[in-house]
Amino acid sequence: MDDTDSAGDGPFGSELAPAVRRVAADTDADTEESPGRNVPDIEALTGPQQTLEPAIQAVWILQSGISAAVLGVIAAVAFAFFSPGTPRLGGVVFGAVFLLGAALSVLRYRSWTYEVREDSLYLERGVVTRVKTVVPYVRIQHVDASRGPLERTFGLATTVVYTAGSRGADVSIPGLTPERAEDLQTRLKQLAIAAEGEDAV
Amino acid sequence: MNLDPLSVPYRAGESVLRLAWVLVFLVFGNQTFGGFTGVGLVVVAWFLVTLAYQLVYYQRFEYELTEDTLDIASGVVSRRNREIPVRRVQNVDISRNVVHRLLGIAQIDLETAGGSSTEGSLKYVSFEEAKRLQSEIGRLKRGDTSTDETTAEAPAERELFAITPKELVLLGVVGIDLRLLSFVTVLLPVVAPSLTGQFGDPLVGLAVTAPLAAVAIVAVTAAISGALAVTNYYGFRLSRVTDELHYERGLLQRFSGTIPLEKVQTLSISENVIARRLGYASLAVETAGYSPNDAGSQSAVPLADRRRVFDLAQSVEDFEDVAFERPPKRARQRYVVRYGIVAAVVVAAAFAVDRFTGLTFAWYATAVLVAAAPVAAHLKWRNLGYDLQSEYIVLREGFWTRTISVVPYYRVQTVVDSQTIFQRRRRLATLVVDTAGTSGLTSGATRALDIDEAKASELREIVADRLQEELVKRREQRRRERLGSMEAAA
Repeated sequence: MDDTDSAGDGPFGSELAPAVRRVAADTDADTEESPGRNVPDIEALTGPQQTLEPAIQAVWILQSGISAAVLGVIAAVAFAFFSPGTPRLGGVVFGAVFLLGAALSVLRYRSWTYEVREDSLYLERGVVTRVKTVVPYVRIQHVDASRGPLERTFGLATTVVYTAGSRGADVSIPGLTPERAEDLQTRLKQLAIAAEGEDAV
Repeated sequence: MNLDPLSVPYRAGESVLRLAWVLVFLVFGNQTFGGFTGVGLVVVAWFLVTLAYQLVYYQRFEYELTEDTLDIASGVVSRRNREIPVRRVQNVDISRNVVHRLLGIAQIDLETAGGSSTEGSLKYVSFEEAKRLQSEIGRLKRGDTSTDETTAEAPAERELFAITPKELVLLGVVGIDLRLLSFVTVLLPVVAPSLTGQFGDPLVGLAVTAPLAAVAIVAVTAAISGALAVTNYYGFRLSRVTDELHYERGLLQRFSGTIPLEKVQTLSISENVIARRLGYASLAVETAGYSPNDAGSQSAVPLADRRRVFDLAQSVEDFEDVAFERPPKRARQRYVVRYGIVAAVVVAAAFAVDRFTGLTFAWYATAVLVAAAPVAAHLKWRNLGYDLQSEYIVLREGFWTRTISVVPYYRVQTVVDSQTIFQRRRRLATLVVDTAGTSGLTSGATRALDIDEAKASELREIVADRLQEELVKRREQRRRERLGSMEAAA
């Protein structure tokens, strides 16, 4: 039995890779010139380090506001029942948690960068724990774009990249405009195809 | 093809047994419920109903092994047709419990990398049929297209390992969960006051009860783990058939399965404190097939001489002899501080209990923990390490159970380097090399803990680059193989 999934690099040449070439063809014309290699122009797909849209700070601040409000209410109820303290302490809790959350949101935004490199996606993020992730394109299983209600309000979207890895596998890039998210999705899709992942596992 | 006809009464019996639990509660919980005759009637009626259902299930269950897929059509009310590409199959496992063995039937499970549960399960086929499927799938996966079964029968099988009675006994000893044990012995002085109340002098009481309890706990855990080891690994045998590993094990319930070598993600060699003392180790081969909670079934060698385990591992993955590089010494300071804080909290808690509750005991005895913190930190540090080889990165971690993970660059999924706020203070970082292997109980994350931050980012790029190099190499090799096979065909 022949290995049917590592299409495109065999001695069979172009007949082996119809599905691959179709996707590549609708974006880049130069696939016609190089029939054996189904590689879209990698140079054009990669780019320098990118930051997120500043509007994501507002989303994160609002999100931390919501959790701060929940904590504040819980604290207010709790302090109403215990003798040393008044429900007003709930407001203090809310204020403190909210300020902390807002500060973290801003710092988180500043720490976030991603880079579409030649053979891998590179991410840097994190305030308390700084995390740098390398996701080789060969390992990408699929790419999603998602938009939560708050993100929609601010005109933002998230791109989620799935791998078969067992731990910390799925990376998401928040705070992109829908156009950027879609652009990133197609770029990653093409780079993943160009990387000719056979088993991905 | 159909399932084995004996699976009908067996499956019906199974569902009656499941009902039996409910009935036991009903009979003992409620005396007015018809007594035993009533229960008997319910059981018989239920058996007939399920028998009829299982008969229909049997009639509507079909499977077929074609050249490149296993097709399963099943379902009584809602039908499901499933095709599993044979090349994507990661593991084929056969299990038989005592009743199965009496009836001559077996359960066969197929695992692929997708999904969280077993992808294809046949309950139940005859044992011969299970064996046939297992070897056929292995044959098809190798791309051996000679369909004449009689001539292509049984490729050379080479035994790699068979467990000896001595190793089986040792497995029981080594299998004791040391963390539990240490936890109990640490906890004991705190629990002891209630026991010591019966003695005149509390100190004498503690001196008598603590060792006694410890001995009893050791004996009980040893007995349990020994019994588990014997039932699970009795008659363990590992052999190699061309490019697959075959294993067999179990006393009451027999398991046998295949591990395709080309699907191996990582190898992990683990040795706990006792095993290290005795010079023994165990080997686990991880594939992407299993769901995280049945990681136990992929153990390749439960226990063997350390040297032998390494030889076996090197025959599976061709890594060089390992020479570990430890994290910088400042990582050790981090653990001293961390354990010191834990010890201080324990001492403070003991003091608080002694001071503010009725329980009075020698709280200052817990101060020993503070002294133990640097020792523990050193031991943790000593057992850390990584080794960067030409095709593998080898990682080591753990004192109670030291795990050495061998990760081929070719299997790397993502490379993550992270720094917590405390690590940043000491310019340390943790490098996680993730694969698709199911990191189960035997091994945690495959990571290099607390290495120098510059080294971590260097390694991150090296690992990612070497993955690309390996990919290129494999692609070349495949191209050559294909050209070769074309020439041979021509």
